[in-house]
This record gives sequence, C-alpha cells and structure tokens, in this order.
Amino acid sequence: MTYWRLFLFALLATFSTARAQEATQPGVTGGESLNKPSMAKHPPPACSDPKPDCAMTIYPAFDKKGLLWVAYSVGKTLYVASSQDQGKTFSSPTTIITLSDGIIDAHGDARPKIIPLNDNSLLVSYTTRPDKMMIGTIFTAKSSDNGKNFSTPQPMLTSDGQRFDSYVVTSKGRIFAGWLDKTHAAQAKAEGKEFAGSGVAFAWSDDGGMTFKGKNILMDHACECCRISAALGRDGLPVFAWRQIFEGEIRDHYAAKLSANGAKLIGGRVSNDDWAINSCPHQGPALAVDTKGVWHIAWFTKGKNRQGLFYAFSRDEGKTFSTPEKIGDDAHAPAFATLLATKKGLYRAWKEFDGAQTTIPIQQSSDGGKSWSAPQILASTTEASDHPILVALKGDVFLSWGTHKEGYRLIPLNLAKK
Amino acid sequence: MPRSPSLIYTFSLTLISLILMCGTGRSLEFKPYGRGDFDQIAHLREQRPRIIHYWSVTCPACIAELGQWAKFINERRDIDIIFINTDDDEDRERAALRLEKNGLSQATHYGFSDSFVEKLYYEVDKSWRGELPFTVLISANGPRVSVTGALDDPHFVAWLNQVNDVKK
Repeated sequence: MTYWRLFLFALLATFSTARAQEATQPGVTGGESLNKPSMAKHPPPACSDPKPDCAMTIYPAFDKKGLLWVAYSVGKTLYVASSQDQGKTFSSPTTIITLSDGIIDAHGDARPKIIPLNDNSLLVSYTTRPDKMMIGTIFTAKSSDNGKNFSTPQPMLTSDGQRFDSYVVTSKGRIFAGWLDKTHAAQAKAEGKEFAGSGVAFAWSDDGGMTFKGKNILMDHACECCRISAALGRDGLPVFAWRQIFEGEIRDHYAAKLSANGAKLIGGRVSNDDWAINSCPHQGPALAVDTKGVWHIAWFTKGKNRQGLFYAFSRDEGKTFSTPEKIGDDAHAPAFATLLATKKGLYRAWKEFDGAQTTIPIQQSSDGGKSWSAPQILASTTEASDHPILVALKGDVFLSWGTHKEGYRLIPLNLAKK
Repeated sequence: MPRSPSLIYTFSLTLISLILMCGTGRSLEFKPYGRGDFDQIAHLREQRPRIIHYWSVTCPACIAELGQWAKFINERRDIDIIFINTDDDEDRERAALRLEKNGLSQATHYGFSDSFVEKLYYEVDKSWRGELPFTVLISANGPRVSVTGALDDPHFVAWLNQVNDVKK
C-alpha cells in the first residue's frame, strides 16, 4: 500500500502544480479554464489510400487524346493517375516523390499540377516547404512514357522562395510559367528593409519543361498568399492575374499579358475595391481568355467599395475592365470561383455554403460575359471539399471536384445533377 | 493473485515521471478544434473580455505579429486570449516552432482538426472565407465583433479602447 500512497501523492501534487501553472499564465486567471478540452465530435481523418478520393486538392487536365490526368498528394507523397472513362475509374497511381523533409504545398489555393504537352509527354510541378522554414521551392518532373515513369524531380529554378506557380502552353509547345517569388523580399530583409508581399516572376521553357529560362521578376508586391491564374491569349502570349498590394496595403487585383520577349507586363488594375488590409485572403483570382481575346476574371474582396465574389471582363487586354458584377448569393458565402472559356461559351462556377451544405453553382454566358444563365447547382456535399475547377474536353465542360464524403468527381455540365 | 511490490514501484515511478514531465515541462499543446467548438470557446469565462485569434503559418502577416501578441498578453492580463491555428496537422509542428520562437508557448492554443473549414469559418462569422489573421473580439458579457487584419487594425484598436473605458 505504501507504493500506491506514494503514487497517489505524486499524482495529486502534479495536478496541483499543473493547475497552479495554468492559473499564473498570462491572460489566464482562476475560474473556468480556457484549456477546456474540446467536446465537439470531430469527423474521422480523411482516407490515406494513394487515390484521388483521399486527396485534399486535385488538379485535373485532359490530354489531346481525351485522357484525364490528375495530380494530387496524399500525405507526403505526390501521385499522378489517369482516367479513360472521365473520372469514373483511375489507373494505378504513379508515385512522383515521397518527401523525407517538409511538406507538399497542397492546401486551398496551392496544389501540385499536371500539364499534358503537345508531344504527348507530361510535366508535373509541385512546391515543397521544408519542415523548419517557410520557403517554397518549385519542382518539376517529366514523363515521356505516358505517365508510367517520371524523371527525378528537379528544382525549376536555382533559387528558393517560390509559391503558386501557374502554366500555359502555346500551340507551338512553349510553356510559360508565372509564380510568386520571394527573391526581392529576401534581399530587402537582408538589408533590413521592409518589403510587402512577393514579386511576380515569369519564365518559359522550349524543351518541354526540362529547363526554364528568362526568369524575370516583373512586378513587386503581389499578395503572397493567393494563387496566380494564367490563361493563353489569342495571340499566343500568356495572360496572368493576381492579387496585388497597392499603395496603402490595398489588396486588389491586377491582370497583365507577358510581352513576346518576356521582359514586360502589359495590363492594368482590374477594379478599385479598396480592400486595405494587412492580411492573407488565401483566395486568388480566376482567369480565362475567350476565342475573341476577351479577358475574364473573377475574384473575392472585402473592400470598402464592394464585398463578395465578383466578375469583370476586359475587351482591350487589361487597359479597362467592365464594372464588377456580383457573383452568387452573399448569404451563402460565395467563394473560389473558376472560369472557363471554350468555343461554345463562357462558364463560371464557384463554391457556396449555407451552414450545412456546400454547393457548386454554375452559369453560362453566350455573349462574352455580358449576361449569364440562371445559376444551376452542379454538385453538393455536406463534408469537406476542394475548390472547384472547370475543365474542357473538345468543347464539353466538366466540373472537377474532390469531396471528403463522395470522393473525386468529374461532373459533365450536360448531365448536371444535385 | 499477490501483487509484486517491485512491479508496482516501477509502474508508479514511471507514471510519476511521465506526469511530472507533462506537468512541469509543458510542451506546446494544441487542443483539437472542430465543428461546434467556436460556440463553446466563445462562451468560456464570459465575465471577462476575450480574444479568439485565428492564424496560420501560411500567413506572413500572422507570423509577423506573433511577437506583438506575446507582448500584448503580458500587458493585458485582464483579457483572455485564445489562439487557434488553422493549419493542417502536417503544419502543426511548424506552427509550434513559430509560437515558441515568439514566446507564446504558455498561451492557450487550439488547432484545426476538422477539414470542413467552410463550416468552421461559418460558425465564427458567416462572411468569413478563411482570410487571416482573423480575430474575434468579445466584450465581457457583451457583443462580439470580428476583425480581418493585424493587431493595428482600427477595429481592434477601437474595441480595446472600449474595454479600457469599461475598466475605468
């Protein structure tokens, strides 16, 4: 019994010490503890199988034969898989890499990507963040045997400090890349200077993504926590859109085309929302360029001049934009828009949440964005979900959406169902 | 069956050591935060002004002001401050390192343990889409306001002035 007494005494003494420590914590005094354990029921963790159903973010792309490719990560492993039946079933995944240090940037706006190229090869990109630092590095890997094997991933650049890469491929096979780059921010920090946000950098590859050249940071002070979007202009030059930090910490949007020599951005501010905020919206814009060369952009703001999800177009390559038009139902927190332009029309979809259910409404425009069809709910879920992405195959439009409960779905627009 | 004194002794000492390690060393711990938890946390110790602060390692503005939060905690012991890290589990270690580096190990921390983030945001504020830093300011036995932005945000400053006025 002596041993048990000793044990009980020590137990009581320890709890007393712990409570005393808690009571002396700054901001914590007696009474009900702030460390009260959570009583809510939490859902089970997502599955951990190497399949798209278990990924938090999924990036889809059709190759020119109509095969659907997806890049996704589960845990610290990056996979690629393909589907011959438009997402109903997938091939056994090919592992690109399993990280030993750090994580794959695959949360919200950030995600690995797969780009089917004109010569039937595949390019995969992903960003890693080491365990003890917040510096991202973009890696790429290539497959020339229909996704069976991929090259050992290589850093896309010789420097670190990148996030949110985005790509477009021209009809001649040139791959343009745009990303947020911390080079100038790191230089400023080393000199003890303040630097807001990231640079917006660009480069291109003429060897199928093996090497990228012409790296140039063409604009500084982009919001560093929101994705860049890219689309191919009618003239074969890439157009990019991102959230820019304007004078006074105003985080509104900018869209611009990269000049043919890659040395200049030509575009302008999308709207004057006047969102003056020192924060991370974690929500970058969506961009599409239609067959007439009109730029279409959708974005989220909580500015002084407008709040919510908005859409505008530019018929003069970014010199001017139409008056922003509100998207979605404000009562249902519309967010994370995706835009798609095909020969058949223009499409916009986004996420809404009513407190219990997440839905993906979609609208079509046949007049270049001047008017839109009534929203149609294309899919819904009552658990966690990825951002929606619209993809096209020969003019047919699909919603690519991963949801915790239903798994990965590729939903054709013409077979829309709730 | 007779108990073996040596076994009990070993068992007791092991347990004591473990408990003492937890009790006195107190490494940074994130309580799980999921659906339904905001309401519970918001109603803890309602007689005091409270701040519920959401942050992430992917938010440079959040990280930049962690040091200011540590200073604020020391200066304002009249206000309860609860930190909620919105990252996934795989970023939690990184979050802990940031907090420790900024002297916030001893504060109260929760971490998102529910990937249905839209629901978590909605429960806090129907207009919140996940932008950070995001802070809920709750007056003693009173209304609450939510603020997107850093500690120097005018809404935060105004709320603090209001708390100060009540104290007077």
